[in-house]
Amino acid sequence: MNTGENSMSLLKLENVGYRYDSGNKILNGLDYTFEKGKMYAVTGKSGAGKTTLLSLISGLASPTEGSILFEGKDIKTIDRYHYRSRYVGVVFQQFNLLPHLNAVENVTLSMRASGKKFPDRQKRAMDMLSKVDLDENIVRRRILKLSGGEQQRVAIARALSYDPSIILADEPTGNLDLNTQKDIVDIFKRMAKDEGKCVIIVTHSPEVAKESDEIYELAPFSGKAAALG
Amino acid sequence: MFVIQNALKSIARSKGRNILIGIIVLAIAISSCVALAIKNAAAESEAAGLSAVKISGSIAVDRQKLLEAVSSSAGTDEDGSMDMGSMQEIMAQYPDLALDELLGYADSDFVEDFHYSETVSLSGTDDFVAYGAEEAAEAATGDEGNMRTGGFGGGQFGGEPVPIFGNNGMSMGDFSITGYSSESAMTEFVSGAAKITEGELFDMDSSDLSCLISEELAAINGLAIGDSFSLSNPSNEDEIYTFAVTGIYAGGDTGETGGGPQFSTAQDPANLICISYPAAASIVSNSESVGTSVTDIQGYERSSALSGQLAATFVFDNKADYDSFAEELGERGLSDYYTLSSSDISSYEASLVPLENLSGFATTLLLIVLAIGAVILIVVNIFNIRERKYEVGVLTAIGIKKGKVAMQFVTELLCVTLIAVILGAGIGAAISVPISNQLLASQIEQMQTQSQEQNQNFGRPGDFSQDEGPVQSGNGSFPGTIMLNAARTDAGYIDQINATVSPAILGELIGIGLLLTLLSSLAAVVFVLRYEPLKILANRT
Repeated sequence: MNTGENSMSLLKLENVGYRYDSGNKILNGLDYTFEKGKMYAVTGKSGAGKTTLLSLISGLASPTEGSILFEGKDIKTIDRYHYRSRYVGVVFQQFNLLPHLNAVENVTLSMRASGKKFPDRQKRAMDMLSKVDLDENIVRRRILKLSGGEQQRVAIARALSYDPSIILADEPTGNLDLNTQKDIVDIFKRMAKDEGKCVIIVTHSPEVAKESDEIYELAPFSGKAAALG
Repeated sequence: MFVIQNALKSIARSKGRNILIGIIVLAIAISSCVALAIKNAAAESEAAGLSAVKISGSIAVDRQKLLEAVSSSAGTDEDGSMDMGSMQEIMAQYPDLALDELLGYADSDFVEDFHYSETVSLSGTDDFVAYGAEEAAEAATGDEGNMRTGGFGGGQFGGEPVPIFGNNGMSMGDFSITGYSSESAMTEFVSGAAKITEGELFDMDSSDLSCLISEELAAINGLAIGDSFSLSNPSNEDEIYTFAVTGIYAGGDTGETGGGPQFSTAQDPANLICISYPAAASIVSNSESVGTSVTDIQGYERSSALSGQLAATFVFDNKADYDSFAEELGERGLSDYYTLSSSDISSYEASLVPLENLSGFATTLLLIVLAIGAVILIVVNIFNIRERKYEVGVLTAIGIKKGKVAMQFVTELLCVTLIAVILGAGIGAAISVPISNQLLASQIEQMQTQSQEQNQNFGRPGDFSQDEGPVQSGNGSFPGTIMLNAARTDAGYIDQINATVSPAILGELIGIGLLLTLLSSLAAVVFVLRYEPLKILANRT
């Protein structure tokens, strides 16, 4: 289906721009390509539109200009709920976990929402949670009883649980100490290298950016970005 | 599956909220259940009451209609009063139907049975006196000295014992002699209100003057089975008829006519003498053949011949046949001025009044409960959704479609509603019978108080029993006739209903539950569809 330059790219941004309802333009003319098996870092100052870009890629918002192609198809033309629930795993900055559920329930909810068949959802959820270093004692607690770092890990486990091809993470290490930051980055790296996922991390942290295969830096307001990788 | 699983989990998690909604729906369900049970029971009583019961009806001139026709035509004088001449003329065009005509109509397939009786009024002789004659004589002496009064329309009396005529020109005697066409015509005996205690019934087909007399008459005149007695034409003392007693009956009633004024001893049920129709017809025909012309007190020339009053009754298997027959009468060319009427139906309809009131009350209650319930549920639901806005945001952000989220919320509400409706139906079933009967009792009490007050206002004793026996016919057109199947003075109200919860009511309740759920969750659906996940989550941030 994919031809030429797109043959390897999982996700491609073509001249993507975004303007808020208020009229302010935040993104302009972005041409990025994301491939399987690589970890990308999107950096930029506050207000540069990093989170907006993540929303566009995850299908939570639509670009006002240009198009985003997933496996060669404009995501405007596909069912975005389906796209979100099966192909994109998002680790939100604020985690967006359901507080009245425990960690395992949050993870299995996403697995069920994806509509994908898993032989043993509970076991897979537990495996995912242990992958992010959460022990059994913690995963049975309600989300509000967990620390910020623990919630962060649950959010990552949730994003990985249904085996999406793209993993988007918004400041995934923002609330973590250095050691934990490293652990989390390692998890993402493993996802890209071992499991062939396309990992896109929006981050402020130069350490995290340094670990990635490519860095896209968003310049505030100007809409210009440079590929430094 | 995803929706149902999520909904059930969510119900289990949010017990407090769902119990609150459940209690609201439970209250609505119980009230609706009782209201529906009452409505249903009232409708069933109304339908079943007449569908399975034989109905007696008779054809009579509709005087009201005739009067309206006369007054609407040019038959009024300059001063606006009724032109009596033209009215009598019109009235004369519509006499009571003759037996032959009635027999013709009775051929109808809708008529299950047809029976009739003819009543003549005869006076006592020296050896045979009427029950209550002495009291009546005393009462009358206090007035003008004549015990024979003329009923509602006829009687003026002077010092001489002159013949007194009723409305129909029929002379009034002390006794009512009724000839019955068949045993079924003797409704009092059929119903058991009267019973032959000695002797036997006369031969129905014979024109012999064999009769049944009441125990009271037998006692005061010292008569036994096989004895004879004589009665005379009130207008012609020489016209004597001799009757043989074949049986003595005990009536359920001793002559108290429901507290109303009694104008003649002939109206006293004890003075009813039962004979066969051929015998009554032979008396009338004989009287006509020997009749002479006499002048009554008002100076009108009248025949002294006895005239019989025919009472014909059509019996129908059910109300539907009755209605069909009424229609058929019109088709067969019976004038609109004749109507088929039935005291069974009118008294049954009267007995339904409290039940209908209750049913109306139940309908109003149902509507109010549903309206208030719907408003409360909508408000609770809107609050509920607003509270769960974040959940909507997260669920849609992880790729669950808005429609599914909305469905989940609707399912949650539906489950709670269904459980509450089923519980409500159970509780409603248990309490609907006592509650509805209690409400009905208070309705009846209210109706009785009203009718009692009304009676007192008219100076009548206020306490009418509910179940009167034979009483005087209420139409006043023929005061000398005793209608054994007359309407009750006071309707025997239906005072018990079987307000049980049937599968139909359960179905209606579930329908109400579904309707309320859909209505109140509509708000939820609109909210969910309007929410944009990104905005919800961004607002939270």
